[in-house]
Amino acid sequence: MSGMTVLIVDDSSVMRKIVERALRQAGLNLTRVVEAGSGREGLEALGRDRPDLIVSDINMPSMDGLEFLRQIQSQGLAQGVPVVMITTESGEEHVREALAAGAQGYIRKPFTPDQVRERVLPLLAPA
Amino acid sequence: MAASSGTAKRIEVDRFEEFLDRAAGEVFSTMVGVPCAPTEEAEDGDRGTISAVIGLAGRMSGSLVLHASSAAALRIAGRMTGIEPTELDAMVRDAMGEMCNMIAGAWKGHDPILASGCLLSTPTVVAGTSYELFSQRASIRIERRYRFEELMFTISVVCEFPE
Repeated sequence: MSGMTVLIVDDSSVMRKIVERALRQAGLNLTRVVEAGSGREGLEALGRDRPDLIVSDINMPSMDGLEFLRQIQSQGLAQGVPVVMITTESGEEHVREALAAGAQGYIRKPFTPDQVRERVLPLLAPA
Repeated sequence: MAASSGTAKRIEVDRFEEFLDRAAGEVFSTMVGVPCAPTEEAEDGDRGTISAVIGLAGRMSGSLVLHASSAAALRIAGRMTGIEPTELDAMVRDAMGEMCNMIAGAWKGHDPILASGCLLSTPTVVAGTSYELFSQRASIRIERRYRFEELMFTISVVCEFPE
């Protein structure tokens, strides 16, 4: 897979690093990692860059992941870019809500690199 | 009536303790890379010098708290991130908050009603030992201690009995 840019949105800098490491361990060739600490910062980042993949937490202060997703949709940002939500919330309603808001994938924390590979790779267009 | 209510509560507490053991084990093995197991051993010194708190709201309200000594917190954060911290800095506090968040999510996820009907707050991290958590209507108090490698940590759940 050719080099990719990923936008990782999470209020925890530790989780952003863990997500980045898991994506690399899953086999993604990341040439650029853009980090955002909230949905609001994620929107600002999308104004500057068009990533190949967006991975976002849901439960964040300032602007949560679902609102971030809705804003992406309503503003027509990052059209065609797969969005994967990562969260501790395990209820099926949360999954449905994320998918309805425009996410293409959903990963529950804690996660293994294998789980990330299974959920993310099918969403990426072949190089 | 009181006896059957007490029995039901005991069963519920036992169930939540079992869920907590499973949640701690799952999160630890996946994110820290080492197993942890419940222990009855007393912890050396204070119960904790850093505590991460997650609020629970909805079908169950209260809080889940992860307490750890400095040594345990440094080890947990180091294993999670691959960076060896030497002090209880922002990275360690962040790692402890995320561990608490994941344990709370995994814990409630074992109960189908709570999985959807109970929401988690973002984590708050408290340093030091001179504090106590109070809940106006708390009816369940669980405290479980776990050993990983030569270190220990404690998880407390203080919450309202679910209706």
